[in-house]
Amino acid sequence: MLTQFLINGIITGILYSLLAIGFALVYNTTKLFHIVAAAIYVFAAYMFYLFAVTFGMPVLVAAIVAVVLTMGLSLLTDVSVYRPLKNRKASNNVAMIASIGMMTVIVNLIAMCFGNETKVIDNTIHRSFTLGSVIITSPQMWQLVAGGLVIAAFLVFIGMSSWGIRFRALSADSVLFETLGYNTANTRTFVFLMSGAFIALASCLTVYDIGLDPNMGMNVLINAMVAMIIGGVGRFGTCVLGGVTLGVLQALTVFQFSSNWQNAVTFVLLLILLFIRPQGIAGYKQRTV
Amino acid sequence: MEYLLHIGIMLCIYIILVLSTNLTVGMANLLTMCQAAFYGVGAYIGTYFLMHFNLPFVLIALIVMFATGLTSLVISYASVKLKGDYFILGTLGFQMIVYTILYNWVNVTRGPYGIPGIPSIKLFGVWSVTGIYAYFFFALVLAVSVALIFNQLQRSPYGRMLKAIRTDELSAQALGRNTVQLKAWAFFISAAFAGVAGLVYASYVSYIDPTSFTLDESIFIITALFIGGIGSRVWGPIVGAAVVVILPELLRFVGLPDAVAANLRQVIYGLALVVLMFLRPQGLLGDAKLK
Repeated sequence: MLTQFLINGIITGILYSLLAIGFALVYNTTKLFHIVAAAIYVFAAYMFYLFAVTFGMPVLVAAIVAVVLTMGLSLLTDVSVYRPLKNRKASNNVAMIASIGMMTVIVNLIAMCFGNETKVIDNTIHRSFTLGSVIITSPQMWQLVAGGLVIAAFLVFIGMSSWGIRFRALSADSVLFETLGYNTANTRTFVFLMSGAFIALASCLTVYDIGLDPNMGMNVLINAMVAMIIGGVGRFGTCVLGGVTLGVLQALTVFQFSSNWQNAVTFVLLLILLFIRPQGIAGYKQRTV
Repeated sequence: MEYLLHIGIMLCIYIILVLSTNLTVGMANLLTMCQAAFYGVGAYIGTYFLMHFNLPFVLIALIVMFATGLTSLVISYASVKLKGDYFILGTLGFQMIVYTILYNWVNVTRGPYGIPGIPSIKLFGVWSVTGIYAYFFFALVLAVSVALIFNQLQRSPYGRMLKAIRTDELSAQALGRNTVQLKAWAFFISAAFAGVAGLVYASYVSYIDPTSFTLDESIFIITALFIGGIGSRVWGPIVGAAVVVILPELLRFVGLPDAVAANLRQVIYGLALVVLMFLRPQGLLGDAKLK
């Protein structure tokens, strides 16, 4: 029984990791509190719904179209709001408030177009795989395999490819990055495109399993932010560590107590971590936290 | 006419809420995402005292203020240890924890079932505030008094020290001011008044449940504050509260279907926030920019 919960926790953790990577890509490189990621998450889900259900395309094609469109939206938020604010020398808090504003606008526009009720992508009962005493449903298998492969590819990318090193350089010291002659604007564009892709992937994998409604974004985003902090701030790979840890801890909470309290556990853990070890499990220690 | 009075009462409650948020955000530069948590704690504690004891309003209000202020000590401690984004995350976490407790601790708070049949406030233990006219008058007097209190607060030496913290905290510390204690008091007072607003809300609507005190509500209060203006002036929060409470009523005349109207209202708030951050980051009537 415990193994079933652990496997569920790991799979949920992979989803948290994907969203955490999407958030951390923007947060680490631009130091912006990218709250609009919640709206981007919802947008991806509804684009997936639009193409898979309303237009009746095959699920895989609809997911790819949704991911591409979401990358566009992510870039749009940067180009239309973040960069102009940065050019006006606005502080990060001002950008965060603008981000909250954008999130409200996008989520409610989606709700106006599609309705406030919960929708589902695929109502059929999915096949499930049984490995020993553990049952994994078909959507969970997709989450595990697709999510796992993308995470592995990302870890290789961020560690070894030239663009990955550029991302890490930009997050370490943006002034030095520009001084050394790298094109910050292009790097930023790529960051936002990639962030949009990760958020869209997390969204599509999740809503294929559990359905969608316009207000689901903030809750998931907060879990992803906590995952990022638990893993460690400042680094990208630690998002995966944090995501899986959070997923497993939530599953253990459900196993031990009840599912009502899994959110509370997340935030108690966040507060404890912020007070005692703000750099998370494996993050960079900062002088002023 | 009674509907107008209802809007008036909600406006007064939100004026108190936004004024209390202005104390931490505008005067001490601490962006909090947990005002709705204090609002909720105040509402629930106020409900407990309203239903089980027969105390005059002033006494219940003082108890609620003190109790809600105590819960703010967690955030005060957070503001010492955490800076910038981490503090915002900490307040976010606190908000979610309070909501989860309110929602799940069914034995005490009745969770999602809510608490119905909350009695109305008794002034001086004898006269019960019944009827919407009485409530409106009571809420109006309360809102005006709170506005006057905050006005005096920002003109007092304490207000001046908060302004110093907002402008340059390091200099204030270098000059020997105990910024930790000052900020802790700011949180205490802010939470206390949010609690009073919760008390008035609970007794007016006579039913509370956790869904009125979510993160969305916190964001709504912050939106009202930023639209109106942060800083040392009292008029900013008042105008902000007025805009967010009265605007949906004006939208009524446009004649949209109900399902769309609520979302359109939020779209307008969001757009107003984004546009204001571009054109006037201190808000319509504010005089302090965010750091």
